[in-house]
Order: sequence, then C-alpha cells, then structure tokens
Amino acid sequence: MKKKMISVLLCAAMVSGLLAGCGGKSEDKGKDGKEKISMWVPALDDAVEENWTPLLEKFEKENNCEIDMEVLPWENYEEKWATGAASQDLPDIGYMYAEMFPTYIDSGAVADMSEYITDEDKEEYLYLDHGYMMDGQYGFPVVTGVPFVLYYNEDILNELGEQPPETWEDFKRICEKATKDTDGDGKIDQYGYAVGFNNGSMNMLYLLNAYFYSLLWQSGTDIYNDDLKSVKFNDEAGVEAAEFFLSLKPYMPENFMSLAAEDAFSTIFGQGKAAFGVTRSSSIQEGLFKESYPNLNWNYVTSLKNKDYGTFGATDCMTLSSQAENPELCMKLIKYITGSEFMTEYHKIASGAPLTKSEPYQGDEKMERIVTEDRDKYRPLQVGPCGSDILTNLASELQAMMEGKKDAKTAMDDAAEYGDAALEEYWADKE
Amino acid sequence: MKKQRKFWRSIAPYGYVMPISLILLTFVVASLVISVIFSFMKYNLLLPPEFLGLENYKRLLTDEKMHLALGNTLKIMIMVVPLQVVLSVLFATLIAARKNSLAGKIAKAAIFIPVISSSAVVGTVWKTMLNGRNPVIQGFFSAFGIDTGMLLGSSTTAIITVAMIMVWKNFGYYMVLNLASLTAIPDSYYEAAKVDGGGVMQRFIHITLPLLKPAIIMDVFLSVVMSLQSFDLIYTMTGGGPSNSTLTMVMYAYDQTFQNGKAGYAMAVSNLLFLIVLSLLMLQKGFMKREASEI
Repeated sequence: MKKKMISVLLCAAMVSGLLAGCGGKSEDKGKDGKEKISMWVPALDDAVEENWTPLLEKFEKENNCEIDMEVLPWENYEEKWATGAASQDLPDIGYMYAEMFPTYIDSGAVADMSEYITDEDKEEYLYLDHGYMMDGQYGFPVVTGVPFVLYYNEDILNELGEQPPETWEDFKRICEKATKDTDGDGKIDQYGYAVGFNNGSMNMLYLLNAYFYSLLWQSGTDIYNDDLKSVKFNDEAGVEAAEFFLSLKPYMPENFMSLAAEDAFSTIFGQGKAAFGVTRSSSIQEGLFKESYPNLNWNYVTSLKNKDYGTFGATDCMTLSSQAENPELCMKLIKYITGSEFMTEYHKIASGAPLTKSEPYQGDEKMERIVTEDRDKYRPLQVGPCGSDILTNLASELQAMMEGKKDAKTAMDDAAEYGDAALEEYWADKE
Repeated sequence: MKKQRKFWRSIAPYGYVMPISLILLTFVVASLVISVIFSFMKYNLLLPPEFLGLENYKRLLTDEKMHLALGNTLKIMIMVVPLQVVLSVLFATLIAARKNSLAGKIAKAAIFIPVISSSAVVGTVWKTMLNGRNPVIQGFFSAFGIDTGMLLGSSTTAIITVAMIMVWKNFGYYMVLNLASLTAIPDSYYEAAKVDGGGVMQRFIHITLPLLKPAIIMDVFLSVVMSLQSFDLIYTMTGGGPSNSTLTMVMYAYDQTFQNGKAGYAMAVSNLLFLIVLSLLMLQKGFMKREASEI
C-alpha cells in the first residue's frame, strides 16, 4: 500500500511538473521591482554573454533596470523568433538580419523607431540609413562594415604579370590566365575563381551573398522594382550579371557544384590553388588568414566595377518590439549598445567595424579602407516582401543554370516569374 | 479501511498512466488536431489565423515545388527501403551465423555505430568526404568509375547519393531488429534441415526467410516511415539542392513555415505526408494480420 501511495504521489508530482512547464510569460519587473528589458541576440562571438554582460552592467546601474539577455544559436535563430511570435513571447529588443524584417514589419511586431532618432544620432551613427526599410526606421545597425570582398592571390597575379582587377574584363582575363595545369600531369590544378555553389548546411542565400548580389549591383540593377510589387533582377542588366557568372564556369574547380562556398574558399583559395576567392571580410583578417593559411600571400579588392560598384555587406540591426512596455528605455539601451562607448570596448574583444563617428577603428591597417574609402562600395540587401522565398528560388535557378540545365535568360525569367507570382499574391492579400 | 484500500487500488492504474497520457495528448494528439485546424487557415505564426477553407489543399494540387518535393520524397523511399531491408536481412544472417565470434561482434558494433551517430554529423562528414579533395576516398570510388567530387553537385546523382548514405546510416538498426528475430529461431530447425540434406540457401529460403517475415514486414514499414520523413541528413548535405533536386516534403514544410511564413500551408503539406504514412500503416497492418493467420 505504501509503495503504491508513493508511486501515485510521484506520478502526481510528474503531472504537476508537466503542467508547470507550460507556464506563461515572465514578469516585466525584475529583482527589487526594477524595470526588466528582455533581449535576444545570436552568438555574435564565442562568448557573447560573457563579453556583453559586464558592458551592460553600467547601463543597468545608471537606469535602475535589469537586462535579461538570451543568446541564441545562429542555426535556429529565425525559428526561435517565429515560435516566440506564435506564442506571443517576443523580447523587448532583439537582433535581426535583413531577411527577417519583412514578416515582422508586416505583422506590426517591430516598431518604427523614427520618432526616437535625433539629429545628433543621424550625425553620429554611420549606417543608420541601412536600418531604414519598408518606409520606416525598423533597424538600428549593430553589425556592419564586413562585406564580402574579392580576395586575390598576389603570388599568382605577380606570376601572370597582372595588377589587381578593377573591372569585369580584368577579372575574367586573369581568371582565364590563372586556370592551368601547373605540375604538367595533364590536369588543371590551379583555378581562376574558387567558387563553391552547393549550399549544404549553409543557408541557400549565402550563395547569393557571396557570388551574385555583387554582380547584380555591379551591372546596375537590383532585386525589386522601387514599388516592391515586382522583381527586376531579370532585366537586361540582371541577365548580363547571370551570363557573366556563367561565363566564369570554366575557371572554377570542376566540382564547384559539390563544394560549399566556404569549403571552396578554404580548401582551394586558402591553399593557394586559385587566383580569386570570395568570403566575408573581417577587420582582423590578417591575423585570421595568417593562422589558417600561413603561406598565402593575399590582398583584396572590395568591389569590381562594371556599370557601378557593389558588393554585399550585411547590416544586421537591433530592433524594437512594438509590444515593449517602456520603448524609451529600450531605445536608450539600443543606442547604448550600438554607441561608441560599448562598441569600442566590445570591438577590442571581438573585431568589428566602427558603427559611430566617435568609435576608433581597431582592426588591421590592411582592412581599414573597407570602412573608409570603400564604404560606398558595399550595401545591404534590399528589403522587400517574400524576400526569403524569392531569393531562395533565385539561388535554385542559378544552380540549375550553373549545372547546365538552363541558360541565363531562362533561369532569370523563371526566377522572376516565381517572384512576381509571390508578390502578386502578397499584394492581393494586402488589398 | 477495506473500502478505502479498494478505492486506492481502483484508481492507482489511472495515476500510473496519467503522465504519459498527458504527454501524448499534449504533444501528439493535440498537435495533430492543431495541424489539421491550421491547415485550413492562412497563418504566418505572427498574425491571427484567418480561415481559408480548402485553399491550402487546392494549392497542393497546383504547387509545382510541392510536387517536386513529393516526387523526391517518393524517389528516396523507393531507393532506400528495398536496399535497406535486403542489406539488413543479409547482414543479420551473416552475423547470426558468427554471433559468438569476435569478427561477428565487431561487425555488429561497426554496422550499428552510424545508427547512433547524429544525422547532422554524418551529413557533414560525408559532405567533406565527397568534396573530391580526399585522395583516399577519391581513389577508392574512382576504381568503380565514380568521381566523388561530382556526386552532390549534379541534380541527377545528388538524390541517389543522399539515399545511399541514408541506407548506410540506418540499415544497422533493422539489422539489429532482424538479429533479435533470428536468435528466436530454434537451432533444432536448422539441424533437422541439415540432417535432411538441406544446403545453406535452402535453409535460408525455407527456414530463415519465412520465420523472419514478420520482422521484415516491420522493417519495411519503419523504413518507409523514416525515409518519408527524411530531413536532417539531407539538410546538412545538400540543403535541398542543387536546384531543388533533393528537396523533400518535410524540408519543404520547414521552409514554408520558418522562411516564408506560410505555416498554414506547411501544415497542409505535413497533413498530406501524414495521410501517406497512415495509408501505408494500414497496408502494413493488413499484411501483419494475414501473416499472423498464416502462422
């Protein structure tokens, strides 16, 4: 009997535990009745919680509040936001990247911060315009200035008697000359352009970030038309960009369709087997490359020029929830995090480009021109409705083109047809 | 006192089953019901759902990408299930014959290791091995005329490659199930067959296979369900590419929910998959019943 009683009690404890697990949202007041601000950020560096907490303590003291920071892994960052939104449990402020914004702007989950931005802010914050999207200031840039750039192997270029490329013609010519069999075994072992076009575990959009947006912008077009009601990447300039990318295929590794972009960079360009490779830059690139590729003699071109300059430089932002209890305090925190005092200290630990005029540049000298003379050569993604859907499909069509299943015009037209249909449905819903 | 004891005795079983019943009701039955309800709605996880009637299901009929995902899922099932079951029976028989030898034990453990490995890890390792820059792997496969560097990059071979890796990863699981059934077959059957002059093949065909039939039917069913739900291994190896050639239904539903904000439609896709699995379950139940009556 005793045993049975214990069993039943244990079962009851389990059930109550189960029910308690389905608890509601946490309180907005923290310890000692202090205002509580919840914040979600991804793993921006290896120890973001340890790095940010001491820097946030000063804000907490000065404003008598408590910051509840949750660091989420990149892999399911969007999922966490989506499920949080579904359960009405979003943070007061959070980190978002461009592709995430449209859905949350549309649903009114994030607030337009325009009213909180002063003339001094406009003067001080270098990239504020990158957070202006879909007719509002929905983002406050927190990570930027690390665009995808074209790295080149100086030894290969010197051997070919070539200068760093400036135009598409230069680039293609050098690629052609660099692609060759260097050891005489009849097989090509040095390539012009180290491309990996298999998305693998990387987001499909990474392929566009690394290889295609730059060509699209350099040829003078963009993703959407200005009214965001249709796409324009299949116009003459867009097709020219696709054709140019396709024309580089002979200078890519034979297995580029099997290689992930980062693998192509590290195993081919990094090992000195290609003249060019593309990856995201870092303000401490010299140290990173020295460690990973000690024998590589490298330099970089921020952007080539065709009709225009252009390469993808993500601008990830802090955003304000429209449900925040105290938006003024939340905005103060956003400005504090992105401000000079916080970021100067943080960028000592984790590299990054200065976000404000008063923040000193702390990176490598070699990389500094990205945030000075080349600052206008990179841009964030044009934010528009159905972004992920349209762009993922564009990446798939480009894969079909590179595989030889479609020509450039057909691939771009098919991607545009899909995109226009998605946008038509989206706008029809709005009406 | 006696009455009280009787009362406790009568309600105790309900207490024992209550936790698991609550878990099942909350996470299985409720989610199934919610999925059916939301599949008739326009729902993006952010805004309140709007009733759409049969729109999401009508869309299933015209959505070419969904048809592609359905086709790919079925292709994977067709490639994976027969091979997985045949290999599992074959290896179970071979290992059962050497069950007490060291080689048998090592083989059993080696075949089972991929089963307990994380799919994401297996996917990443295979992707690295198949990047064409590993001379040992490249050399081995080139002996069969296969260029490993191209396998995941072509929409023709990518799906075959991921299917074969799924077979490699999972057949050990079915092999262990089959081994359990094989050990239940009395040795006296084989001894009697030997006395009657039955050879290895005859013993396999007339004793092993018939007695293993219920286990094989179970293997087929589980293998079908697992292959229809394939996601993580493919996600890490190809992400559904190149050009959607390895996009499966589960992956499509995932993208629709978390990338495109079409959770209602994703639930319709998931429900279609559920119906396919359910009909196969019915079929399997029929087989099992017939089998039981034959035995």
